[in-house]
Amino acid sequence: MLSLALSSRPLTFLRPSRRKPTLHRLLLPKPLATATASASALTPLTPRFDPNSTSGPDPDPTPLFLRPANHPVPAAALDAFRHRAAALVPPSAPHLHHQLRWLLADAIAAGDPSSSDTALLRAPLDDLEDMWQQHVGCRRPFQYVVGNEHWRDLVVAVRDGVLIPRPETEAVVDMVRKVDGFADGWWADLGTGSGAIAVAVARELGPQGKVFAVDVSEVAVEVTRLNVQRYGVQDKVEIRHGSWFEPLEDVKGKLMGVISNPPYIPTDDLPGLQPEVGWHEPKLALDGGKDGLEHLLHLCEGLSLVLKPGGFFVFETNGNKQSEFLVDLIRTKWSSSFHSVEAVLDFAEIKRFVTGYRR
Amino acid sequence: MARALLLLRIARYPPLPAPPAPSHPRPLPPLLRRHAPSAIRFAPFSLPASSVSTSTDASSDGGGGRKGGEEEGCGYVDYLGMSDEELMDQCEMGTFKASGPGGQHRNKRESAVRLKHRPTGIIAQAVEDRSQHMNRASALSRLRTLIALKVRRPINLEDYTPPVELLQILPLKSTVRGKDVGPQIGPNNSKFSPGMQALLDLLFAVEGSVSDAAKILGLSTGALSRLILSDDSLRTAANELRASKVSRKICAVNIYSLTGEYHITHSKHYI
Repeated sequence: MLSLALSSRPLTFLRPSRRKPTLHRLLLPKPLATATASASALTPLTPRFDPNSTSGPDPDPTPLFLRPANHPVPAAALDAFRHRAAALVPPSAPHLHHQLRWLLADAIAAGDPSSSDTALLRAPLDDLEDMWQQHVGCRRPFQYVVGNEHWRDLVVAVRDGVLIPRPETEAVVDMVRKVDGFADGWWADLGTGSGAIAVAVARELGPQGKVFAVDVSEVAVEVTRLNVQRYGVQDKVEIRHGSWFEPLEDVKGKLMGVISNPPYIPTDDLPGLQPEVGWHEPKLALDGGKDGLEHLLHLCEGLSLVLKPGGFFVFETNGNKQSEFLVDLIRTKWSSSFHSVEAVLDFAEIKRFVTGYRR
Repeated sequence: MARALLLLRIARYPPLPAPPAPSHPRPLPPLLRRHAPSAIRFAPFSLPASSVSTSTDASSDGGGGRKGGEEEGCGYVDYLGMSDEELMDQCEMGTFKASGPGGQHRNKRESAVRLKHRPTGIIAQAVEDRSQHMNRASALSRLRTLIALKVRRPINLEDYTPPVELLQILPLKSTVRGKDVGPQIGPNNSKFSPGMQALLDLLFAVEGSVSDAAKILGLSTGALSRLILSDDSLRTAANELRASKVSRKICAVNIYSLTGEYHITHSKHYI
């Protein structure tokens, strides 16, 4: 199937067709194609939320943990909330109980409720109640609800419209750190999303090092800017708005490395995604077109122009088949441009990444 | 001369049982009681045959822990002296049962980390942190504690001088503790583990006698007892060690069943 895609479609046809999505579109919850199209057993037949109701995405996009702590609440009321919220989820779902603890960790600014009468919260209890309901009732990703994801040693701000960074992707930064002389090179993170990779790499760089964080989405650019500021790496991360290589004309041939976690889910698989992903995360960051390869192939094609000789690349892929296909393709079609091309396993032993060096 | 050589080996390595139901908490040693029960299932480790030995023949057991065991003090790997990276290199990270395609497909914080230290078979895990990176750091520090508690190195009592990492955890009134050793290091300091390991090595060599160990360390028995009691896991390990010293003729076997997930057999050989 993968080889068919290649032979029947010349590579030059696989230009990304990344239209600029409007903010308005990105902020709306994703409608379901059809209620029955969802394959997951976890998926309720119909989403239990009304897109027009007020309980959609939070009107305040400031992540909970960054909001001012100006809501004193009696410890007893907080405790009651904790019990009510815990009662909404079964004991058989320990991850939800973890998340409840994390919600409170983000919300409580001061006052250990077990030892004092009043807790100081960053949001009114009613809002917390609403947030929890959005998560467990409407399957809104926990990370969007609280506005952050803990990723590596970072607390990355996220919001509707940017992909939530995945734990698998944490390994990318370790791969970058193993590249000889990485610290003083120029890097590009293409489709940076929340900016998680760009910020994590920037924090490892030396005085000469720099990361170009590129994204076509305005929300992504905004969120990346917030994360870059929070970690004080403004002088190391240059945010550029545009599609893939387009905003990098001036650094062609100068990059030590290209990193990307592009959309790679085959379009046909999108309806079956877990509700937290399929209903709420931006299609722009997930949809890889036919076979999921559309953007990955475009990236492979542009690589040799932007990388300097000896430059490194790492792409995240959909897994074994895609990685094997890309490794094979680069080794045969572009063997004169690249060497040491290989598929790298993630922690679940899936061939998640493709890495290699420019000759 | 009592030269004690401890052998650590995996007696058996069963498939992981289901996590205990929250309503029936298993009685766990104090060190492990802090860990939240994990709901995440890990695929069984696949180990090279040499790393796991069910044989009772000491020489066939893999790992470097007893290399050069003829002469004490040489060849015993100082795991706790290793950097995090070196220690990590000796570990296998438990893999998650791939429950699907992963990556962009999933929103689940599969961030639990389970480390298996190949040379000793000791396993440490962490599930409570919000990122995998942080869980790895927690698991690694837990591994250091477990190594200190479980890996015994032989001591020749006739020419024993306490190593500096042990001196550092002793109270200042110890008469063998020089002025240059610095302030006393407590259980919350990451440097406590190497000292704790050296202290347990000594206790092991003196057959678990706290008063004998106290004499060697220039402390009153009471002062050493207080040190041992200052840390739950140290106290537990010391008590287990003393209990296991009842019979010293035959290789005593003491099975620690820590989480129900692994079993380590300690055998003591006297030379």
